Parts: sequence; C-alpha cells; structure tokens
Amino acid sequence: MKKRSVGWIVAALIVAADAFLCVKNPQDLDRLLINAILALSAFATLHAQLLSLASAGFAAIGAYASAILAVKLGLPVALSIPAAVLACGVLALVIGLPVLKLNDVYLAICTLGFGEIVRVSIILLPGLTGGSTGANLSTGFAYEAMRKTSAWEIVLALLVLCYLFWATSRSKVGRALRAIRENPNAAATMGIDVVAYKNLAFVASALIAGLAGAFYAHSVGSLDAGDFKFSRAVDILSYAVLGGSGAWFGPILGAGLLTALPILLRDGLAFLKDFSQLPNIVNGLALMLAIIFMPGGLAALFKRRTARPSGKAGDSSGAKAEGSIEDAEPDASTGPMLSVKDLSRSFGGVAALSELSFDLERGQILGLIGPNGAGKTTLINTVSGIFPPTGGTIEWEGRAIQGKSAHRIARSGIARSYQNIQLFGEMTVLENVVVGHHTRVRTNLLAAWFCLPSERREEKATRQEAMSLLSRLGLADLADQEASKLSYGDQRRVEIARALALRPHLLLLDEPAAGMNEIETATLGDFILELKARGYTILVVEHHMDLIMKICDKIVVLNFGKKIAEGRPEAVARDEAVLEAYLGRG
Amino acid sequence: MDLSLFQDPIFLAQNLVDGLSRGALYGVYAIGFTLIFGVLDILNLAHAATFMWCAFAGYLVMAEAELPLPLGLAAAMLAGAAIALLLELLAFRPLRREGADKLSAMISSIGASLILVSLAEAIFGAQTRRFPNSVLDPKPHFIGGAGGVRISNAQILILIASLVLMVAMGLFIRRTRMGKAIRAVAANQKAARLLGIDVNGVIVVTFLVAGALAGAAGILVALLTNNIVPGMGSQIELRGLAVVILGGMGNIEGAVVGGFILGLVETFTIAYVPGGSDIKDAIVFFILFIILLVKPNGIMGKLKADRA
Repeated sequence: MKKRSVGWIVAALIVAADAFLCVKNPQDLDRLLINAILALSAFATLHAQLLSLASAGFAAIGAYASAILAVKLGLPVALSIPAAVLACGVLALVIGLPVLKLNDVYLAICTLGFGEIVRVSIILLPGLTGGSTGANLSTGFAYEAMRKTSAWEIVLALLVLCYLFWATSRSKVGRALRAIRENPNAAATMGIDVVAYKNLAFVASALIAGLAGAFYAHSVGSLDAGDFKFSRAVDILSYAVLGGSGAWFGPILGAGLLTALPILLRDGLAFLKDFSQLPNIVNGLALMLAIIFMPGGLAALFKRRTARPSGKAGDSSGAKAEGSIEDAEPDASTGPMLSVKDLSRSFGGVAALSELSFDLERGQILGLIGPNGAGKTTLINTVSGIFPPTGGTIEWEGRAIQGKSAHRIARSGIARSYQNIQLFGEMTVLENVVVGHHTRVRTNLLAAWFCLPSERREEKATRQEAMSLLSRLGLADLADQEASKLSYGDQRRVEIARALALRPHLLLLDEPAAGMNEIETATLGDFILELKARGYTILVVEHHMDLIMKICDKIVVLNFGKKIAEGRPEAVARDEAVLEAYLGRG
Repeated sequence: MDLSLFQDPIFLAQNLVDGLSRGALYGVYAIGFTLIFGVLDILNLAHAATFMWCAFAGYLVMAEAELPLPLGLAAAMLAGAAIALLLELLAFRPLRREGADKLSAMISSIGASLILVSLAEAIFGAQTRRFPNSVLDPKPHFIGGAGGVRISNAQILILIASLVLMVAMGLFIRRTRMGKAIRAVAANQKAARLLGIDVNGVIVVTFLVAGALAGAAGILVALLTNNIVPGMGSQIELRGLAVVILGGMGNIEGAVVGGFILGLVETFTIAYVPGGSDIKDAIVFFILFIILLVKPNGIMGKLKADRA
C-alpha cells in the first residue's frame, strides 16, 4: 500500500472519531475547533524551527482581553476579539524582537516564563480577571453576560486560517520558511532575513493563539486561570508535534486525534473512567513517541514520494529550452570590486586568518589556494557574513561590509557555494534554485493571499528562469528530484545554479570541483569562464590545480592564515614559498 | 519600599539567612540542569519533574517507612539518578542516535515531564503531604537569644548539604578523570569520541549526577517548605531557568552564584517591597528577561568559552 493512502485512511479515521465525538457531545465541537486553531498557532512557530511554549499564555491574554472588553466596556464581539488578537501580536513583537536574535533555546525559556507570568498575573488581578477560581467571578465580574459565539463563527475562522496557511505555504514567504527550516545558514546566504522571518512566525503564532483564546472565552462563557496552565501549553505543542511541523494540515489532524482520543478511551474502557490524568498522559506519550519514531508527524504520511511530472515550469519557453545564463548587471564604477585589508579571524586563540589583504578586480577570476586549514573557507565565511572578522576591513564596491549579516551581504550582490554542500535537502532541485531568487521576487504576502494575477505571473516567470538556469547546467531532468537524492557532483552544480539565481555581482565558489571527475571538472572550468565572459566576478577556492591554472587571472596563496604569495598563475607556480608550503623542504 | 526596615540589623540578618538557604537550594537544583545543558546543549525540561518525584521518594522513606533522615536523603538522590537515567535512555538517547536536532530533544523532555507529573498526580493525588515532626524538629534555633535571628533545622541542613554538594561537584568536575571526560564531551563531542572517550558512558554519568542533584534539591525543598505536591516542580522550574541564564548556560560555578543571587533577591523583595510576595514570580521573569536583553551569556559566560 502506498504511504499516501495510509495517510488518507488515518485522516479519515480521525475525522470519523471527531464526528462521533461531536454527535455524542455537541459541546465538544467548540473545543475541537479551538484546539485546531491552537494547533495552527503552535505550527506557526514550530515550522520556523522555534520552540515556543507561549501559546497558552497568548490564548489566556486573548481570552481575558476580549472578555474584559466585551463585559466591562460593552464592546461587541466583532470589536473585542480583533482588539484582543492585536494586543497579543504587539506583545509577541515586544518579546520576540530581543529574544529571537539569540540562540533558539532562549525562546523556549522565555516563553515558558511568559506563560507562567501570564497565569500568575491573572490570579493577582482579581478585580479585572476574577482571580484564580470561578468563585471569585462574583466580585463584579460576570462573564456570563458576554454574547456567546456560535460554532459556525469558529468554523469560519478556522477555514480562513487554513486558507491563509495554504496560500502562504505556496508563496515566497512559505518557501523562505521552508528554507530556514532546512538550513538557516544557507537561507541567510540566499538573502533571507532569518531573524525577521522568525519574528513573523512568532507574531503570527501569538495572533492565532489570541484568536483561539478569545473564541474560548466567548464559547465557554467563563474563564479560570487554571485553563491556561503549563500543561495546556504542552497540549498545544503536542498537537503540532504529532501532526508534524512540515505541513500546515498536520497539526489540525494532530488536534483532532488528541482531542478525541482521551475522551473516547474513557468512554470506551470502563477502568479508565476515573483516570483524570489520562489526557495529559496521552499527550505526553504522543509528544515523545511522535518526536522519536515519527519526526515528520502525521503530515509526513502525505508527502509525495515520487516527483511530479517534470517540465511543468519550463515547457512554455521553447527559446530557452537550451538554458541560458543572464549577463551580470553592467556596472560603470571603477576601482577594485572587493578589497580585503588586514583581515583577521581567530577561533578561541587560534588564528585562522591573520592580516590578509588582497584586491579583486571587476570581471576577473581570483583563485584562492593553500593547504588544508590554510583559512580559505574562513575567508569565504567572513566575506559572506557567516561570522564577523576579528579584525580588518572588507570593502565591497566602495562600502565596508565586514561584520554585516549574511542576508544583507547576499542582498548587496555577493553569492556563494559551500565546500560541504548546504542545499535545502528535502526541497526539490527547482525549489532550491527558486529560493535563490528570493531577493528578486517582489510580490508580497498579501498578493499571495488574494491570488493576485501579478503574483502568479511572477511565480511562473521565476520558475521559468530557474528552469533555464538548471538547463544550462545540465540539471533540467533532475528539477523535480529531492536535492538530497542527487549525486555529489550534481549537488555541487545545483549549489552554483542556486547562487547564480541571486544574479550576484560576485560569486564565491568554495571547492566547486570537489568530487568531480576530470571531464566534469573541465566542463565546470569552461562554465566558469563563460560566467566571466558574461561579466561576473568570481573568487574560487580549489584544490584542482589544472582548473585553477586554466581559469584564474590571479592567485592568492594562503598558509596558516597568512598570504604567502600573490600574482599571475605562472608566477605563483614558480614561487619558492608556495612550493615549500605544498611540498615541504626536502 | 519601607526604608526603616533597613535600620533593623536583625531583620537584615534574618533575610540573609533565609535568602542564602533559599539560594543554596536553587544552586543545587540548577547545577544539575546546567550540567546537562553544558554537555548536551539541550534543555532537560523534565528536570523539575525529577525534582518533584524525589521529594516524594524522600517523603515515602522518611514519613511512611519511618527511616532516618540520612536514608531519606540517599533515597531521594538515588531516585533522582534513576529517573534521570530513564530519561536519558528513553527520551534523549533514541533521538541522539537518529541525529535529531536539539529542538526534538527539548520537545521529548517536555513530553516526559508531562507524563511524570501526571503519574504523580494519579498516584499521590492532589493533597499536600507533610513530614511528621519526628523527621526534623520544626522548632527553630535563635542566634543571639530570643528575638534574634531565627534559623530552622531544615535551613541548617540545607546550608550544610548544599555546601558539601557544591564543593564535591567542583572537585568532581575539576579533579577527577570522569570530570575531565565530562568537560571534554561538553567542549567537543566528536573530538572526545575520537580521543577514545566513551561518550555515551560520560553522558550517562552526567545524567546520574544531575538527577542525584535534582533529588537532593527536591528533598531539601520538601523539608524546608514541608509542602509536598505533584505541582511543586513548576515553581522551581522557572527559577532554575533564571538561575542558569543568570550564571551562563552550562556554567556550573555560574549556577551556584546565580542561585544565591536569585535566592537573595527574592527574599529581599518579599521582605522589603510592599506586596513583594505577590510579585516574586514576576521578579523572577523580569530578571530572566533583562539578562537575556543585556547579557545573554550570563554574568559568568558560557561553559564552552571558559573551557575551550
């Protein structure tokens, strides 16, 4: 049986269980729908590789804010809910902006603390919230007076959310988020502002949690701080983890399963009737078992195994069937394009680069060679902004760029490939290259949500362009393959195609021919020369000396982080210091 | 803030005693937590649940089985080591074998924590357990005669036990062969493996030690507050996180210093700020957030940085 049919059967069983539940207990329908919305909230963060435990806290704020606005100020639900949701979004921005710049672990810690503080604050403000128990509700606070929302309103909200998630997932934003998920470093060197996207995900998650909380308040009609305790945050997380953080519909299935399962178990099995901890234990087990045995969650059951029929994107452009490379954008400025001065970088006292200086002229190919550990990759990482230098300057088209973030440097026109391949492994070859177009795709999220024709057109054009690049590199047939399934040499070429998709002024190639045979290497050399002819400036790190001697205008030789020679290939090949570094003194 | 209180030396000394014993507990709890982070780079969010189970283990041995105090302490630490070992084998090792990311390990520990707390609720119920007076005489001692600084037997025990555990941990990590191996794995797992260190073995020892410390913290907190409930972990969980961030993630000395700082700040807030006992949780979170904003590596830096 095919994996996807298993997926459909599981989904059908979950829907059947939920339907059975709601027929038996109509009041469970609201709970089910709200849990599904909360699951989407957890998905928003988890999909961006963020572990947030704030969903319950934001739901509490949404619930209490909307209830207070509706009861104390008499606002209609149509105003109180949006206002409550907005408050959650603003708060998320305040928390997320500083914290998301740090290591991801800090978000887990901060959100855990946040959830506790929200709960404690509710208990400490009985005048406003009714305090910790239902008994305090009588102190001038009657949630019962609120207008109740009907299940249909929640259904409508859930459907709208589903549509938005679907539309986002097939837009530029969805693609960028998938790229971050797979490889945040590589995503940044494609010009994707990883921190901004993580903030976006965190705020979206808070907005959605706030909405779920507001619906909860207006559906149940009474609130209690205990509804939003830490175990609730864990429930919400378990929906998304069991459902899978790869695709938006997974968490909805997860919520459907984990809402129905404990209730049905207790109804069906007499000995579990009084076991009030059952839902928590089921959720805890679901979390552990899913993350260990089924890391993709339920959504992974729906993953396409075989690639879609290829050529969909490229077929309409007969003229470009051969594939082509666009010329580099003409540039009238003068002076060296890249000027590195006294660049140093050390790692815990070990100097990987020390006081390296060289210039790279416009339209030239610079070869960077040296024994292993000489600091070649460190140089590329420093220039592309993976980490800042510890000293010295990098001047790019007249501006200092040292220490700038990777996505800014990519946006300014520097693209790179990696020595140890950093493709977005689970995305297709075509998608990898389309991610490279990120900085040049103009249409925004709203255009994607409203299916504007301009957005569709641009997406189509982008795919065609990407296809054309792949054709030129002889990869057209592999366009719909998962990138990680390709051979080593093919993956290297996809990396080059992806870097070219940025239409960079400067291309940094880190051992592009590693793992290629002689014929492939020679073809690659011709290709790099073609790029030069089209106006690209290239810095290439390589061990294949034939390739280096053939294509480079200038060579810089590194040893132990220091420049030991620089000059035209013929001159460098005869240099005493170089021979010594490579061959040792006899 | 009531300034006249500052002029009362006995009140000040009283708060120092209370704050230091509270801080010692936070330190013992946080050492285990930060140790696991230092070695594996993951947050073990089931550390607080381990802590809670150990309080119950100690309670069962001392109050139900009526065995003497040292056996109760030993039982709590053994229980902690055993639970931590289970966590490593069931929640963390399978993920490490698959090469899963750190997010997965944290999620797995959250699941384990929920299961541990729910099981405790199912077995022990929600009612509070208290030690009979025979376990530890609740009558306090007074330093400087009646009206002087009050110190309970539990506080004396806490101060002594914490000091012993902290010094022992320091010696273990700095002086023993296993301590060196733990530091090596923390600094670079791959390199440690290449050097012939049994990485999984080192990780198991790390969990055993961390669990035993959670156990000691659990039983000592139980003796101090005399209030044993399945939900008792959530209070210390947040404080443990604040302490670990304050001292620098993975930094053992930092956890000790951070523990004392938090213990003192909390006690003094309660004593000197009107309504302080209501806002003490908010203070913890506030400290956490400010440290993240200003000095995310903590006041004493990261483990990796000072051991590279």
